[in-house]
Amino acid sequence: MEIALIGNPNTGKTSLFNNLTGSYEYVGNWSGVTVEKKVGIFKKIQGHLIDLPGVYTLNPLSRDEGVVTNFFLHESVNQLLNILDASQLERNLHLTLQLLEFERPVLIGLNMVDVANKRGIQIDAVKLSKSLGVPVVPVIARSGKGCDRLVDAISTKSPEPVNKKLVYYGKEVEAAISALSKEIDGKTEHSHRFLAIQYFEGNEYVKNYFYEIADSEKLNLILVNLESELKKQYASKTLPSFIYLKRKETIVKIMAETAVKSSSVIPLSEKIDRIVTNKFFGIPIFLILMYLMFMLTFDWIGTPLSDALDAILTGPITNLLENVLTAIHASDFIHALIIQGLVAGVGGVLVFVPQIFILFLFISLLEDSGYMARVALVMDRIMESVGLNGKAFIPMIIGFGCNVPGIMAARTIETPRERLLTILLTPLMSCSARLPVYALFVGAFFAGQRALIVLCLYVLGIIVALILAKVFSSTILKSETSLFVIELPPYRLPQFQSLWRSTWDKGKGFIRKAGTFIFAGSVFIWLLSYAGPGGINVDMDRSFLALIGGVIAPVLVPIGFGTWQAAASLITGFLAKESIIATMNIIYFVPNDSSLQGLLANYYSPLAAFSFMVFILLYIPCLATTATIYKETGSKKWTVFSVVYALVIAYVLSLIIYQGGKLFGLV
Amino acid sequence: MFSSFKPGERGKIVDLSHVSHLVQRRLLDLGITEGSEVCVKCVMPFGGPIMIESCGQCIGIRRKEAVQIEVVKV
Repeated sequence: MEIALIGNPNTGKTSLFNNLTGSYEYVGNWSGVTVEKKVGIFKKIQGHLIDLPGVYTLNPLSRDEGVVTNFFLHESVNQLLNILDASQLERNLHLTLQLLEFERPVLIGLNMVDVANKRGIQIDAVKLSKSLGVPVVPVIARSGKGCDRLVDAISTKSPEPVNKKLVYYGKEVEAAISALSKEIDGKTEHSHRFLAIQYFEGNEYVKNYFYEIADSEKLNLILVNLESELKKQYASKTLPSFIYLKRKETIVKIMAETAVKSSSVIPLSEKIDRIVTNKFFGIPIFLILMYLMFMLTFDWIGTPLSDALDAILTGPITNLLENVLTAIHASDFIHALIIQGLVAGVGGVLVFVPQIFILFLFISLLEDSGYMARVALVMDRIMESVGLNGKAFIPMIIGFGCNVPGIMAARTIETPRERLLTILLTPLMSCSARLPVYALFVGAFFAGQRALIVLCLYVLGIIVALILAKVFSSTILKSETSLFVIELPPYRLPQFQSLWRSTWDKGKGFIRKAGTFIFAGSVFIWLLSYAGPGGINVDMDRSFLALIGGVIAPVLVPIGFGTWQAAASLITGFLAKESIIATMNIIYFVPNDSSLQGLLANYYSPLAAFSFMVFILLYIPCLATTATIYKETGSKKWTVFSVVYALVIAYVLSLIIYQGGKLFGLV
Repeated sequence: MFSSFKPGERGKIVDLSHVSHLVQRRLLDLGITEGSEVCVKCVMPFGGPIMIESCGQCIGIRRKEAVQIEVVKV
């Protein structure tokens, strides 16, 4: 049994999905968290539950909405589970009416009844069920209340035939529907009425679908005739708005029967909004929050924890491993591989887990509270001036965690040009995998101002992205159209459990990568550093790794770090940014009592270290990100472009910083 | 006109036809159309977007689009 979850954005579909399937998908308090369809298996009954991106209507504007329409047209489903936000019932019902026209069994989950009650809205689920002709189950998806009843309704209710003509569109439209039905009769398994109405509304996906199965000229004739007739008869502006108003009439009738509104108090949300979206304090508040995040990550909590973990890894754990290796009489090769390769490489990455978790906790907090959409609003003016819109800031913030979901999140941006621009620029956002490099270098060179230097790097990434947005949007990606209409969801107090789960969900990817990708990479890199043209166990400066790094090193001299070690770690950084730190730990392998930080001072000056960090920030999207860019843009040209421009801009900026710094007497 | 509205003032939308097609569609999706009552919540500086409330939900739109919406005070 296939059941699809569908509803308006930010109505709690994914929360419900997680509750019903026991899986964990990404949730947040903003529109457009889910951009791809996801399939889960029910906990208690047989069947699959399919989570779809939120849509207001089945006639899509953006790519994530298109996912839903495509699903309806090209995939089979037994039942639709429509989630409604009880506090915004009128708007939500527009989608419901379209779903009912689809003529598949529909079950309604009435969510956020508690929010509606707080706003003074009482909804009678029984009456709603009667007017719509389908079962309605009140639920609170966040806490899981009512989910059992929903599961019962899914498994027990035999699919009832739905009331086919809930909305009467007037005799002209109805006649056109019949005419169109005749044309497509026998050519499709979908409801003719549904397809016809969507076609009249200007649904491009349905139009393309018709193009495949029917004579599109005849269909177009029906459409044109209908439009001119309506213009004559009712002086109505457009056919889509005529259809919209007919639906609205029905909804008003349903609302009168089922909902009671009383006066409500000013929600806390509005009071918070007066502060965070304040005329003058909006942007400063955002920057202060960012600064706090970096202080927590790098100064107050993260670094002490990482240091403690590092002490355990390099102390007791390494000693234990050494003792075991000696006890089992492991060969020198195995001994070196484990201690100098794996412990140094994988351990060197794992010590940053505390810092990365704190960063993810903050990002989850931003997403869960409802502040995310406000940031988009506050930033829109700046984004508009560079040819983007405020919504593009959301993928960028997500990109601070990992660029891959950031690029996926760009799907919610409606105009193709702004979406492409956002995809191209999101890799400039400093992801969590780059964080270990900063943590290591600021610890070694800028111990006094850790958080400030790192904040500078993050802000630099944003500024470079904005400047490039301006450059690209006024040269290669010129276009006038831009769209910025954003829903600002009410604030919610984040729940500890969901906060922890979404932090863990993001963070476990980092740990898993350390155990697989970085593990294998560490072995490989260590082998390259252990063997050379002269045999095995060579001096590292004569190893294959030095040879490879040495080819690129001369190019890096002008930007301050022309060593084969730096070059080699940059190459591995393309595979995954974490491997930069793994490689460095292997190359600069240090015995227990001294630290890598101390050793680095021999190879880098503070200026070169800063130049290196800037280069790491910008130089290339990692392999996974590059693959995602290709998948999302579907263009080799833009994928290559995203890699090349990043390399160029990183080199130029590092050159300016290093040479400029030297000019001013900094070293 | 929206441009003369101060935060906290309420109005009724009379005409949306001058607003760009895409924005009109999105507003319609959010249930805002001719006849809807709206309240200006806050106005961002330097010609930034404005935040309006309608039927208990808040929406951000750009100033230049907002001024094309014809509104009368209520």
